[in-house]
This record gives sequence, C-alpha cells and structure tokens, in this order.
Amino acid sequence: MGAIPLDPRIEAFGASKCVDCGRCTYSCPASQIGGDFSPRGIMEKMELSGKIPANKDIWLCMTCKQCTQICQFGVRFHEVIREIRPELRRTLPPEPNHGGAPEALERLTAMSSIVPRKQRWMTTDLKLDDSSGTLLFVGCIPFFDVIFRYLRQDLLEIPRSSVRLLNAAGVSPRLLMDERCCGHDSYWLGDAELFEKIAMMNVEAVERLHINQLVAFCPECMATWKQIYPKIVGKLSFEVRSVSEVLAEAVDEGRLQLNRSEESFTYQDPCRLGRHVGVYEAPRHLISSVGKLEDMPRSREMAACCGNSSFINCGSQTKTWQLERIMEASGVGASRLVTACPKCLIHMTCALNEGMQLVERVKMPLIDLHVLAASALSKQ
Amino acid sequence: MPLPWKPNIIAFCCNWCAYAGADLAGVNRRQYAPEVRVLRVMCSGRVSPGMILKAFTSGADGVMVLGCHPGDCHYRVGNVFAEKRVEQVRELLDLAGVDPSRLLLRWISASEGELFGRTMDEFVAHIRDLGPLGGGRHSP
Repeated sequence: MGAIPLDPRIEAFGASKCVDCGRCTYSCPASQIGGDFSPRGIMEKMELSGKIPANKDIWLCMTCKQCTQICQFGVRFHEVIREIRPELRRTLPPEPNHGGAPEALERLTAMSSIVPRKQRWMTTDLKLDDSSGTLLFVGCIPFFDVIFRYLRQDLLEIPRSSVRLLNAAGVSPRLLMDERCCGHDSYWLGDAELFEKIAMMNVEAVERLHINQLVAFCPECMATWKQIYPKIVGKLSFEVRSVSEVLAEAVDEGRLQLNRSEESFTYQDPCRLGRHVGVYEAPRHLISSVGKLEDMPRSREMAACCGNSSFINCGSQTKTWQLERIMEASGVGASRLVTACPKCLIHMTCALNEGMQLVERVKMPLIDLHVLAASALSKQ
Repeated sequence: MPLPWKPNIIAFCCNWCAYAGADLAGVNRRQYAPEVRVLRVMCSGRVSPGMILKAFTSGADGVMVLGCHPGDCHYRVGNVFAEKRVEQVRELLDLAGVDPSRLLLRWISASEGELFGRTMDEFVAHIRDLGPLGGGRHSP
C-alpha cells in the first residue's frame, strides 16, 4: 500500500517528517490545560487521511511555538496550524473575546479612508525627532489602555518608558503618525486578506520614511515586522529590532546607565520575542542591570506561554494555566515578575485579579520590562 | 452611473424605552429619515463595545445607542453601563481616527415618539454632513 500523499500546503512545513513521538503534545499548553487539542493527534489524522482536519479545536492552539521548538525532526507544527486556519475560518470562525473589540479595531484601522491618531500617550518630557533614522512602532497599546484600563492603569507607561530609555541611550526616535495595527492577530487567526492589506499599508508608509531601523517594544509587532512582512512584501530596506535589544546594546557600550538595586526579579519570556524571534539575552541583560534575575524552571526556549493568544479562548482553563505560571514565578523567590509583552502583562494581571479571590497565597506583582528599566534611570 | 451615497446608520434600541418610543413614532405617523436600521436589544447595557465597533467595520457610517432615561432602566442600572461603554468606544474611535460624534447615546422613553423621530432626523443629517466613513460605499 502506497503512502497517502499529504496536502502540499502542510507538507511544506515538514509534516511528513513526523514520527508520532508525541513530544509536541506533552509540551503543548493547549493540551495541558485539558482541552481536546493534541498536536500529535492532528498530525496522525492528517497522515492517515491525507486531509486537513476541520474542527473547532484548531482554534485552541496558542501558536506559542513550543511544539516546533521541542520537535526533534523539524516539523513546524505551529505553521501547520496557521496554514489550516484560513480555510477553517470560512466554515468555523473563531469566537473572539472582549466582545470582538480588539479584532474590530484591527479591521477599523485597516480602512484606508481613516487616519489613526494614537499619539495621545505622549508626554512633554519625551524627545522625538522627525528626521531620526530610528522609528518606534507603538502598536495597539493606546487601544489596550482604553479596553483594559479596569485591569491596569499604567499601560501607557510602556511606550513612554521605552522612549525615555531610548532618549537616555542617546536615541531620539521618530513615530509613524498614522500608524495602523501590525495585523499580528489577523495573521494568526487566518484572516489572510486583512493581514495582507495591513502589511502593504504599513510597509508602504514606513518605507517612505527612509529609516535604517524600526524598533518595537511589543514582541508581536516586532515579530510581525521582522519575520512575517518580508514573506509578503520581500526584504525590507531597514532593520527590525526589539527595544530591549537596542537598550541592552546601549548598556554594553556604556551609553545607558541603570541604577542597580538588590531586588530580585523573574522573567516571563514572551513567545514572540523568545521562541519566534530568538531574543532571550537582551531582556535578561536589562533585568540583570537593574537587579538580580532568578529564572523560572520553565524559561527561555521552554518558557510557558502566558495562556492566550490573539484574544481568543479566554476561560477558566487558561486562567488556571496562568495562575500556575504565576505560582511558578513566586516559587523562585523573586519579588516581581517581569514581562516584555503587553499581552502577557494584561493576561497575567487578569488571572491574578481573579485568582486573588480563589488562591490567597498567589501574590506576585507584575511589571513591564521597559517600565522597570525606566524606573532605574538616574534622575537628572 | 454610481448611485448617490446614502448613509448606513444602526440604532441599538432598548426594548423597554427607545424601541417603544419608535413604536409610538410609528403609531403617530411621525415621518423620519429612512436610512436608520433599528436593532432591538433587551437593554442598552447589552450593547458591548465590540458590537458598536463591528457595526462600523461592517459598513455603518453612524451608530446610535438608545436607552431609558437614568433611573428608568428596566434592569435598574443597564443604562449606566451603556453610558460607560459608549464613552469607552468614543475614546477608541477617536484613537482609531473616526470622529467620535458618529456614535450617539440618547435616552428616549416610551412616551417620546416625537423625540425619537427628531433624534433620527438630526443624527442622519449630522452623518450626511460628515460623509461616508469607509470611502463611500453605497447602501445596498
């Protein structure tokens, strides 16, 4: 009996190399929280039938890339999931959380007839330079500030702190005044049409500025610009880096001085910054410059996902997962949990707020990496 | 020849006050702007930010949230929630670059048929002045 040919769309991601060992399923957060999602099961079904499975479980994947990271045979399962989603979207669309507001905003800012005005977060102490070769891509944080103000009132401190740190390192960034969403969520939720539209608009707007680097504090924006846009529009004429990389470099070169304290921190690797782009050292270097870093047992390549992605699948199971992760953080003896991704911060703050009522002993203040580093800047 | 632009307007009407107000406007034969599409909800507090934003992304040029006067809510405080949510969406719309006045919140009681009709006329006129949101799609 001959082998059943695999669908070529998924074959491209090494699906035929799967040996059914199940390491992906053991490591998958979506499988561990007790849903019906199993990467190994999906691969097996595809191998046996040669067809792409179409069921709602495909939306449970958090696209955190843990499966691809752990696979010994080079199967890129998170890409397989992404490849399946555009077709699945037509018959079984995902159910968005937060009443669909983040998704609708993404769609709204993708309308060519409207010009976003997101710059109200700026304060007078921030130095910006409209002829700078460095562009700071701000992303959705001004929207999140409105939607998630009931959880955290300090979300706008993240872009402010990033600019303050860049200023202290001798960089006055410029901003894209009519910046649109980066389209990350639409890409991972299989809305290829919307994503391509957003990608074209963004790349066109930025290429016109003739910058030499684009920096982003949001790992999702950064990963999208660095890895996904080039797939759609070809090579970009500038470099894409995370703010933490620029700052870590400045600390090394002595351009940025941070006051060190005795406080100990632990760090949540965002999946986009860590496994997707491979930036593990820069944020750690920054944290080590302001205090002591205690890594959690699951860190770096094996870091646990914050439990949600693209604002779908929020529920009691993901909350439990997040609380477990926060308990893991409190177990290493650190006084604060540092995150580098606004979404990790939002999700974990939410879990903590709800979990406080359930589990008395979970007490773990959360802080964003950039806000933490900016608080260690010397006051002039 | 392209059809002239007509605004698409969505009105979320609470079942107990604004929708009954619309009924009264109808019973009184009050003529009002035909561009408004009324959606009945049980309470103005039921209207989430996502629903309003989705209306805009689906082609609405203006959205109204119409509920009971403060203190008259059938569910006691639904209209208070609605007020907070509309305020939140206004802020989001402003950030996204959409004129926040494209979203209107009004309290219309079941006895105010005339006010309902007038609100419709005024809002439609206002949206006509602002022009299309998404580059001039035509009403189906």
